[in-house]
Amino acid sequence: MKKIRSRDYASTEAILSTFAGRPVKYFLIVASVISVLFPVYWLVISAFKLEQDYLAYPPVMFPTRFTLDSFIEIFTRDDILQYFFNTMIVAVATTAITIVVGSMAAYAVVRGPIGAKAKHAFGVWFLIQKMYPAIATAIPVYLVMRSLHLMDTLIALIIMNTSFNLPLVIWLMMGFFEQIPYDMEESAMLDGCGFCSRFFRVVLPVTKPGLIASAILTFVAAWNEFLFAVILTIKNSKTLPVVIAGFITDRGLAWGPMAATALVTLIPVVILVWIVQKDFVNGLAAGAVKG
Amino acid sequence: MKKRKNGDRLASWAFLTPTLVFLGITALLPLLYSLYLSFFRMKLNLPNQTPQFVGFENYARMLTDQLLHTSTWNTILFAVISVALETVLGLMVAMVICSDKRWARIVTSIFMIPMIMAPVAIGTLWRMMLDSSTGVINYLLSFLGIPSINWLSNPTSAMIAVMLVNVWQLTPWVTVICAAGLKALPSDCLQAGLMDGATSGQIFRHIVIPLIKPVLVVVLMIRFIDAFKVFDTVYVMTNGGPGSATEMLPNYIYKQGLKFFDAGYAAALAIVFVLTMTLCTTLFLRWRKREEDKL
Repeated sequence: MKKIRSRDYASTEAILSTFAGRPVKYFLIVASVISVLFPVYWLVISAFKLEQDYLAYPPVMFPTRFTLDSFIEIFTRDDILQYFFNTMIVAVATTAITIVVGSMAAYAVVRGPIGAKAKHAFGVWFLIQKMYPAIATAIPVYLVMRSLHLMDTLIALIIMNTSFNLPLVIWLMMGFFEQIPYDMEESAMLDGCGFCSRFFRVVLPVTKPGLIASAILTFVAAWNEFLFAVILTIKNSKTLPVVIAGFITDRGLAWGPMAATALVTLIPVVILVWIVQKDFVNGLAAGAVKG
Repeated sequence: MKKRKNGDRLASWAFLTPTLVFLGITALLPLLYSLYLSFFRMKLNLPNQTPQFVGFENYARMLTDQLLHTSTWNTILFAVISVALETVLGLMVAMVICSDKRWARIVTSIFMIPMIMAPVAIGTLWRMMLDSSTGVINYLLSFLGIPSINWLSNPTSAMIAVMLVNVWQLTPWVTVICAAGLKALPSDCLQAGLMDGATSGQIFRHIVIPLIKPVLVVVLMIRFIDAFKVFDTVYVMTNGGPGSATEMLPNYIYKQGLKFFDAGYAAALAIVFVLTMTLCTTLFLRWRKREEDKL
């Protein structure tokens, strides 16, 4: 156990990051980055490899020949564009509904005069709902959607995604609303601002980072959702995750087109998260700290 | 002022109504419907058949269902081992990257990728890399002198593979959350430790761990509960196989309901599953409250 000399280190990060000595620090950073990046690298090069290269053994680690064949195949033969738009519609609609409905509910629970008991009850309900396994409602939802003739429609997917993301968004937004100084709302109240206009004009503008964080988490979750997508869709309303899974169950060994589809699925969320990375990290941390 | 208060109350309930109606219809009602179904024998593939009331038969069946016991055990094993690995690795990496410098931000961005990638895509990607004849993992292992492994067709290695994929997918999440928690630690505590001549091991054990414990408890809670819900990656990687070596509860319930069309039994399984998860959540919440009260 090496003794740390205090003059070398000042901040928390400096003390922690060189905890076990610098070699260990650099080893951990390099090893973790490589382990995270290598599969991603493999996905990207597989999407651009020739068929004989992605099926070759030993595997082609650093391909020199590239092709767009896999992409051409998924866009022409598999009609991936339609599934891309399906996924986009489901994710955007889910996000929009969840944010509007969820932030209103969260505000009512945090600042509305509904009584301490009701507040507590709602808090616990939304938390338990957040932990709730989706599979528990799969069978009844399947039966109900079938009898309502909503099988293989995007509406069914939007409804179920909203249902599963709403508790998370409410929980997150409750945390963000609690951080707003109450004085601000009080002075708005004295100016004759009602509950609604306080929410829309005073509170929402200052919680913009929170709204963005909740929206991005919801969008990613809905974009990647698989369980309900595989249960409730047959053909026309399939989403990208269902298509990707289809490569395993129906087509085996079509690694190139599979990787291309996975890449097409990944790129939109990477761009989105990259744009709002700070809010995304804050959202993750807030969600975890709030429970 | 009184009038204002009433108006506010009315507005609050109006704000809550859409959520209550929506969650009532899409979450509570299906759960009640599951409860109802669990007392019936009902086949999904025979739409015109009338469900037959069987009392507790579906619940009694669980006691003797060998495959259910295997899946329960598999799920527990999977959850405990992968969450333990994720927490240890995640905290270790979090310690070295909890910084606001540019390189740390870049590393954090890289760690975002597994978090935002569709779990189904992760499962298929790893399935490609673990492929026994063309997979890159076996190729890389051959440099270490490890002979080719039939990853997904051997019971033990299939389980290891499913766990490793979960570790790849979620350790970054643990890292990011722990790094946020570590950054918020008061540096004077650590420096006081240094002044007193504590070794790094002592600082870790007696200062860092107690201070970060509330965050760790929450991380453990969320990861553990999510691990019990694992479905997507298992579905595409092994679909429970070989045999029932990687069969987990969600996949098992899915199969009972939507492959064998045994809606009554699947509903009963779902009800027991939800009750267990709710119990786990409550226990974890108590634990967390106790940890928070200690500080």
